[in-house]
Amino acid sequence: MELKGRVWKFGKDVDTDELFAGRFIMGGDETNQSQYQEFIARSGLSDVGHRENVPRDFLTKVEKGDIIVAEENFGIGSSRQQAAETLKFKGVQAVVADSIHRIFFRNFWNLGCPAIDLPGISAEFETGHEIVINLRQGTIKNLNTGKEFEFRLIIPSWFIDMVEAGGLIPYHKSLKA
Amino acid sequence: MTLVEKILAKKAGKKVVRPDEIVEVSVDRAMIHDALGAHTIAKFRELGVEKVWDPARIVVVLDHYVPNKDIDTAKKCLNIKKFVIEQGIENYYEVGKGGIAHQVLVEKGHVLPGTTLVGVDSHTTTSGVVGAFATGIGVDEMAVVFKTGRLWERVPGTIRINVEGKLLSPIMSKDLMLFILKRLGVSGALFKSLQYTGSTISQMSFESRMVLTNMAIESGATNGIIEPDQKVVDFLKARTDHSFELIQGDRDAEYAETLEFHADDIKEPMVAVPPKPSNAVGVTEVEGTRIDQAFIGSCTNGRLEDLKIAARILKGRKVDKFTKVIVIPASQEVFKSALAEGLIATFVEAGAVVGPPTCGPCMEAHMGILGPGEVCISTANRNFQGRVGDVTAKIYLASPATVAASALKGKISDPREFFREA
Repeated sequence: MELKGRVWKFGKDVDTDELFAGRFIMGGDETNQSQYQEFIARSGLSDVGHRENVPRDFLTKVEKGDIIVAEENFGIGSSRQQAAETLKFKGVQAVVADSIHRIFFRNFWNLGCPAIDLPGISAEFETGHEIVINLRQGTIKNLNTGKEFEFRLIIPSWFIDMVEAGGLIPYHKSLKA
Repeated sequence: MTLVEKILAKKAGKKVVRPDEIVEVSVDRAMIHDALGAHTIAKFRELGVEKVWDPARIVVVLDHYVPNKDIDTAKKCLNIKKFVIEQGIENYYEVGKGGIAHQVLVEKGHVLPGTTLVGVDSHTTTSGVVGAFATGIGVDEMAVVFKTGRLWERVPGTIRINVEGKLLSPIMSKDLMLFILKRLGVSGALFKSLQYTGSTISQMSFESRMVLTNMAIESGATNGIIEPDQKVVDFLKARTDHSFELIQGDRDAEYAETLEFHADDIKEPMVAVPPKPSNAVGVTEVEGTRIDQAFIGSCTNGRLEDLKIAARILKGRKVDKFTKVIVIPASQEVFKSALAEGLIATFVEAGAVVGPPTCGPCMEAHMGILGPGEVCISTANRNFQGRVGDVTAKIYLASPATVAASALKGKISDPREFFREA
């Protein structure tokens, strides 16, 4: 499974309050998928102009298929799955970081979006670079510098099947058949 | 194996597990609350399953947005209540009957030594205080737990936090935890377990220990845990009829790392300056910083001993004219005890407002939200930018003693002056 996209470079310690503020947690109608997705996409990273670890033009210029490359400790904080959902619904298809907090790591994968932790990887990318991730081979390539990196994920054996099924919920539904 | 490895091995049906191995474990307790409960239920419905795997193992607590602040929050709580009734879930705590989920889980004896607990909340780690594996997950995973009663986990290697010596009042376990976080950082324990050991921990009250397991998550840890001793047995005996086994780590257990601390090294009360819980400094370094709000409460520091030390400082005095002082007991049980002991009267007389047992202004939920540039000193666990409202507000974390002393002066203050011998 290969993912290709344009890089957004984030800094360190991007926390879940930053990704999705408390004031929006009870918003959105979770029983209405399209309304919910639109609400979650719109509400995330609401205070981005005040943060140093997220590029200022991310909200206005992010496009479907983009990939975040971040420094250490991405997604620190709360269980709120909206922190992962808002990135997915804004179009981000994967997050690569020097390290990733456990709950965010699980939440993002469960949405069918890979979260890949590889120490030192952030130094190899800048915003605007093209990145290619091969999930089954465990490689990340920077198409601008030509450099390739290997990663080894500590995940259940069924995880990549789950991503191909579109996430944890669709995967579990497919198990029934 | 360490304690956490032994619990996970047992629940996975394996003789041995190793750090970073992927295991699938059975779930003994699953907790949802109002902030993410309706979302969990929507996902569960999406799975197309009629009934949860075991209604007796599910605990539902309304704590973040209650009493409901608007129509959205009321609707989500209604959805949760309907689900509870439909599924026959007995352990349901409406506002006024429970309190903060992490406090209720422990207080009602819902979490036993050697068991597994998952909750849709990162501070689910709190329940590790009884010697359980307790951790947070998202709502998709909780929906699957509701269906299967099972969870995959990456076995966390154990970082041993060994603390020796005696904490001298008014230095509290919160000060110790901020001191530990200063060394560990906010990512020092990613995918690891924090196990607290040593004479300081064994001498410490059960309530004080809960601060340590609660804030384990602030180091990035999967969970926090303490080996169960007589204090745990005494606490649980009055609260549950269920039998339990006191699992301890092996004597020759291998730790990923051991960090040694000495209580004497904490020279003064600690304050974590914004925007990270690991930014701890001695209180004298930030003394005099003007505040707009002081909050005593939360799953970190809203228990009886916290209210007692705050009341000792506030008794017979008045809080600063321009400072909003909010006191929130962590549960209805704590509230009742505080009433009986006259602590609530002390707070009210001092000019503090006492809120209903909920999360309160630990986060931007239903009350105590901060406006632009406001400064709050809080006994809660996170001081991220924008955590409790406007992104330009600033949050300092400290012990209940330090927050109470600060409330009196309207600026960050050293509580030690209230503890000097006359």
